Amino acid sequence: MIEARNLDKKYGNDTHAVRSISFTLDKKITSIIGQNGAGKTTLLRILSTQLLPTSGTASINGYDIIKDAARIREIAVSIPQESRPIYWFSPTILIMLYLGARGMGLRESRRAADKAIKKVGLWDSRDKMAAELSGGMKRKIFVAMALASDADIIFLDEPTTGLDPLSRIQIWSAIRSMKGQVIITTHYMEEAQALSDDVLMMNKGRVLSQGSVKELLKPFEGMVRVESKMRRRRSHKVGDTWISYVKKGKAESFVMEGDIIKSITLDDLFIKEGVNLES
Amino acid sequence: MNHNYIVMYIYASLKSISVNWMYIVSNLMFPVSLMIVVGILSQGKLLPFALVGGLISITAMSGVNSIAYLASLRFDFLYRDLVVTTKTTKMDYMFAHLLGEFVWVVPSIAFYFILDVIYGLLTPYTFLMTLLLACMVSISSYSIAFWITSRIKHTRNAWPIGTVLSLLLITVSPTFYPYTYLPKYILDILTILPTTPAVVLAQGIFGLTPSLPIQWYMLPILFVETAAYLLIAVYTTQWVEK
Ligand SMILES: Nc1ncnc2c1ncn2[C@@H]1O[C@H](COP(=O)(O)OP(=O)(O)O)[C@@H](O)[C@H]1O
Ligand SMILES: [Mg+2]
Repeated sequence: MIEARNLDKKYGNDTHAVRSISFTLDKKITSIIGQNGAGKTTLLRILSTQLLPTSGTASINGYDIIKDAARIREIAVSIPQESRPIYWFSPTILIMLYLGARGMGLRESRRAADKAIKKVGLWDSRDKMAAELSGGMKRKIFVAMALASDADIIFLDEPTTGLDPLSRIQIWSAIRSMKGQVIITTHYMEEAQALSDDVLMMNKGRVLSQGSVKELLKPFEGMVRVESKMRRRRSHKVGDTWISYVKKGKAESFVMEGDIIKSITLDDLFIKEGVNLES
Repeated sequence: MNHNYIVMYIYASLKSISVNWMYIVSNLMFPVSLMIVVGILSQGKLLPFALVGGLISITAMSGVNSIAYLASLRFDFLYRDLVVTTKTTKMDYMFAHLLGEFVWVVPSIAFYFILDVIYGLLTPYTFLMTLLLACMVSISSYSIAFWITSRIKHTRNAWPIGTVLSLLLITVSPTFYPYTYLPKYILDILTILPTTPAVVLAQGIFGLTPSLPIQWYMLPILFVETAAYLLIAVYTTQWVEK
């Protein structure tokens, strides 16, 4: 379980990346969603003891992120967003190195690495140089590190960004098979919908709302999204498109006028909050 | 202390020999070519100096040149970020990578020892003392690299800084000629570079320069300097970011 109280982070004097946020995460898989710059990475780096908060506190399974950082490092795994494999090492060596860093011995880590490599589908490439692998395979090395660590808490920062649909599904299934509590960040709404029991929506360093996908979408029950080139009643402008929400039954008439009808996704929560998704 | 990481990193280093052999060659190239130049210019007279100094140069170069490598681990691969959130401390990280680099120096050290034997310079005493000096120079130059890496903002700076430092350590210190050529006050200033106390001592031990008391001051100086560089590197490196 993760609890944050008034967690705040300023970079220098200008950038206020995380603005005094409080939340509790206790579901199996939580997605933190938000656009680029929302503060997801900063939050994850603070929770995983990589970065000190400017103020506020947080705890992970009861351990304080500052006072008990050493304990947290034993129970938690954190895979940074932009980590890339050192390209002259093989997946096996890279995973073993990581497990070694976590304190595992040579033989034990070889066994754990092999197991995780099979699970993420890298077996045939396990001894190749990482340089020779595709983007998706490189990313899988890091997911395998998290799998092999068998940790209680797993932080994955945008584990599937930029990957093809197939690799994403493979990574999702690896994430679902993790035993510990997983916290991923993403800006793909369908990823949050496919994976998580709990969603934390962030915007500009703040939490917009939190809940299961179903709970979050409750206000939209029975509605559809209408995308129009013209201004509609109670519509929001996103780029050159006006977006409004209407009852399913009413949608018909809009289609006649040439509007586009879409089913509701988590995107709509942001749009409704006035967050311009394109900015 | 997480010795598992240290063992694992050395293992990984050894495993990647097929990609890294060129690194050994390039590391050896510089002192060997300087040795040839110095040897020719002095008509062979300074060759033993270049032999003794070459070995020390190699360890120093390998140390400071790892700035580029450490920087790319930090900025390009974000590998350091990955390790920070494990039980590996910055001390473990530093030692693992120091030893991982040292693995690549061992063949060059062996090469120099063979030359020493051919030249009739090696005795059990000079062998052991040279190893001790090589270890200390390795630790101090690597500590300098570690410290600098924690202070630069991107990889682009790392290569030139590494080159400047290795030239300083190798050619400004009296590595390839008798330290007695230098005025005393210049030698005193150069003592700040760990290669200086190491070569002064080595030249004395190998009997290349007359045995003077100064050479024995250099041993404690080298010890203190190595410890100081190490402590600076460990204590001033920001590991968890603010
Ligand atoms: N190391 C840093 N120094 C200064 N500003 C930063 C740093 N890291 C992130 N930021 C800024 O903090 C804000 C939040 O960034 P980040 O946490 O990376 O967001 P996200 O992961 O949601 O895209 C952004 O405005 C970003 O520019
Ligand atoms: Mg991010």
